[in-house]
Amino acid sequence: MSLTPSKASLKRANRWKLIGLLCVLAFIFAFIVLVENLLMSCILAFVVSYSLGPLVNYLERHGVSRALASALVFFAVGATLSLVGAWLFPYLGNSLYRLQGDMPRYISGVSQFISEVEGWLRSIAGPISDFDLTAKVESKLTSWTQRFFEHLPGTVKTFFTVMLLGPFLAFFMVKDGRKVMRSTAAIVPNYLFETALSLQHQINFQIGQFVRARILESLIVGLVTAAGLMLISFPYPILLGAIAAVTNLIPYLGPLLGAVPAFLIALVNGYSSLEIAMMAIVYIVAQLIDAGLLIPVLVAKIVDLHPVTVILVIIAGAQLMGIVGMIISIPVASTLKVTLTTVYRHLIDTRS
Amino acid sequence: MNFIWENLFRKVDHEHNVLEALRQTYIFQTLSRRELRFLQGMVHVRRFKSGEPVFRQGEIGVGMYIVLQGALEIHADHHIDDDVPTRKHLVTRLKSGDFLGELSLVENNSRRSATATALDDSVLIGFFKPDLLEILERQPHMGVKILLRLSEVLGRRLKETTVKITELKEEIRRMNEKT
Repeated sequence: MSLTPSKASLKRANRWKLIGLLCVLAFIFAFIVLVENLLMSCILAFVVSYSLGPLVNYLERHGVSRALASALVFFAVGATLSLVGAWLFPYLGNSLYRLQGDMPRYISGVSQFISEVEGWLRSIAGPISDFDLTAKVESKLTSWTQRFFEHLPGTVKTFFTVMLLGPFLAFFMVKDGRKVMRSTAAIVPNYLFETALSLQHQINFQIGQFVRARILESLIVGLVTAAGLMLISFPYPILLGAIAAVTNLIPYLGPLLGAVPAFLIALVNGYSSLEIAMMAIVYIVAQLIDAGLLIPVLVAKIVDLHPVTVILVIIAGAQLMGIVGMIISIPVASTLKVTLTTVYRHLIDTRS
Repeated sequence: MNFIWENLFRKVDHEHNVLEALRQTYIFQTLSRRELRFLQGMVHVRRFKSGEPVFRQGEIGVGMYIVLQGALEIHADHHIDDDVPTRKHLVTRLKSGDFLGELSLVENNSRRSATATALDDSVLIGFFKPDLLEILERQPHMGVKILLRLSEVLGRRLKETTVKITELKEEIRRMNEKT
């Protein structure tokens, strides 16, 4: 097919525009990944902006300007969280301090539990060669605990950097996100413009829905767990509820991880079988509410991925970025799916 | 110094032109000045070279365009049979102030029914479904005004099409009677 000079130059210009756009996107991606703490801050900023966006829109619908609505919502939420933090942090700090003090006791308790299990195994299966499971587990647990409290100051520093930078970025995402997206869209070549705009809208909508649904789901699971533990007078109910809420964000593995601290506390303190069963029931009820009510109503319809795909992307996320990778793997996979479907459809349209 | 001032005023002129074009477009005529300014912040100004397609027949479309500068040619490919070569019909020519593609704002997975090509170097204002949805989310009363006018335009287009079909049917009947 021969091209007229104008068509050839148009094609060349479009190709350069596309290369320019890809370079800009690659630069932004590299900048976010390479600058320390920026990736985590951006993830937090997205989560905050998707969570608070509807509140800002609500105020805007009632005649408040976007800038003022953003400022009001961020100030109100910031003030509320500060008050909750001022009440909760001393409690959490005290819990952690007590936990640090109790740790040697817990470790020896776990060791005792393991040595009992070992003894029981030996009685039924004979001596397990020279393998000293108790000593190995005890030394591992001691070194993990030491490393955890050694790394705690660095983790706290990163935590506060992300907690300050994330909401700061989120404020501008909510207030000026539209302008930034419009400016980025301006450099998209004409022949890709409508496809790019539609794609951006679909991704934005899907991730927004997903983030809001997951936060609400975790919040309810955390509240149910804390309330249940309070009801049976289990120690650290709010801390354990908060852990259950956060770990619930990790697909599949999260609910189990969330219950581990409570089981350790129960085992080490030598709780009766009835108390352990009641504690287990609290976690099971929270998970039943999650699996039977929250996931089908809030989450399932948003993510259109096959269960096998979900497991594979979670494994890939864990390999690449650990716990954070597991949490963000599903929205990233569903974004990739939408992108690939749209690009494929565009290519088919263009070719036909 | 002059260069800076010229560019500055050109930008102001350009913004004024966009606002004016939106104000004169039938779909947005009921909007207040404040709402028009809000709309100006939502639309996309796109530049097309002479001969460049704005969209092609059969592609998925997500919105409408208003001609700000230049002119467009709309043509539709008519495919009857595999043995007969596809025929290209000129549907219309659009000039500054005209708008096209408004059906895509409301139709799901809407396919473009014709190809639009820039006749000269043209500037178009694009208003798309995601923009309309965002207006409905942030300024619902403004969205309703736009939707009412949009329904009016689509209704009018439907009426025109019905009249055309009736006329064609009548013509076919007359031709059949003659033969």
